[in-house]
Amino acid sequence: MATSTVIGRASFIRGRVSGDGDLEIAGRVEGDIAVGGEVVIDTSGLIAANISASRIVVRGAVKGDLVAGEALVIEAGARVVGDLRAPRIAIAPGGLVRGHVQTGTAGAARPRAAAAPARAVVPEVKARPVVAPPPPRAALPAVKAAPPPPPPPVKTVAAPAPKVAPKPAVVAARPGPPAPVVQKKRG
Amino acid sequence: MASTVIGAGITIEGEVTSDEDVVVQGTVRGKLVAKDAVSIEHGGAVEADISGGPVAVAGTVTGNINSTDRVDLQNGAKVIGNVDMDV
Repeated sequence: MATSTVIGRASFIRGRVSGDGDLEIAGRVEGDIAVGGEVVIDTSGLIAANISASRIVVRGAVKGDLVAGEALVIEAGARVVGDLRAPRIAIAPGGLVRGHVQTGTAGAARPRAAAAPARAVVPEVKARPVVAPPPPRAALPAVKAAPPPPPPPVKTVAAPAPKVAPKPAVVAARPGPPAPVVQKKRG
Repeated sequence: MASTVIGAGITIEGEVTSDEDVVVQGTVRGKLVAKDAVSIEHGGAVEADISGGPVAVAGTVTGNINSTDRVDLQNGAKVIGNVDMDV
């Protein structure tokens, strides 16, 4: 069973604190804190570390990001410079926070995840024939196409063209920015 | 009363410095420096050089122990390293 851990006010830890169990810090910690239980930063606690735990209570000073699996409590007199993330966050009157505050679970991860696949789907090989057919027009549509998706007209035109001019297509593709153009037509 | 306790299940990788007592029930890797008593309890493991006042070991220590007072190796203690006294 995990006994609770106490970092006394005259103690200093530089490095990584990890494992299961509760943590009470009245001293100084520099580095990284990742525990499964509850972390309590006492009024005399001075932390320069990112903290992740199921529950975090701050009464002292923390410089670093706080991520709690359940709840995060910033009490009066606490000073936090860093981002807060937890399903539930309480900041008492008198608690100082400088940083982003995010409640809910893994909210930040979703937009990033969605954006990533869109960029990833860019097969350059197929892009060339499509771009190639309209050599003069290609430059303009490519630039404008980026925000909205106007693929249907382009595709229809492109379909017949590839047979006619395979070589010019290659030439056109090289100068322009291939990645953005490809996306539109595919999507 | 011990002022600093590294509980069982907790691992500290790095340097622990204390002006007070330190009790280790968990694991410490790196360096352990205390001005007062150091106690490695049963189940505790220290893979580090220890320097402190009185040192009591009932757990495992891999590293050198340097004490300004005394070193007690208790039942079940395992020490791999040198024991020095600066009295």
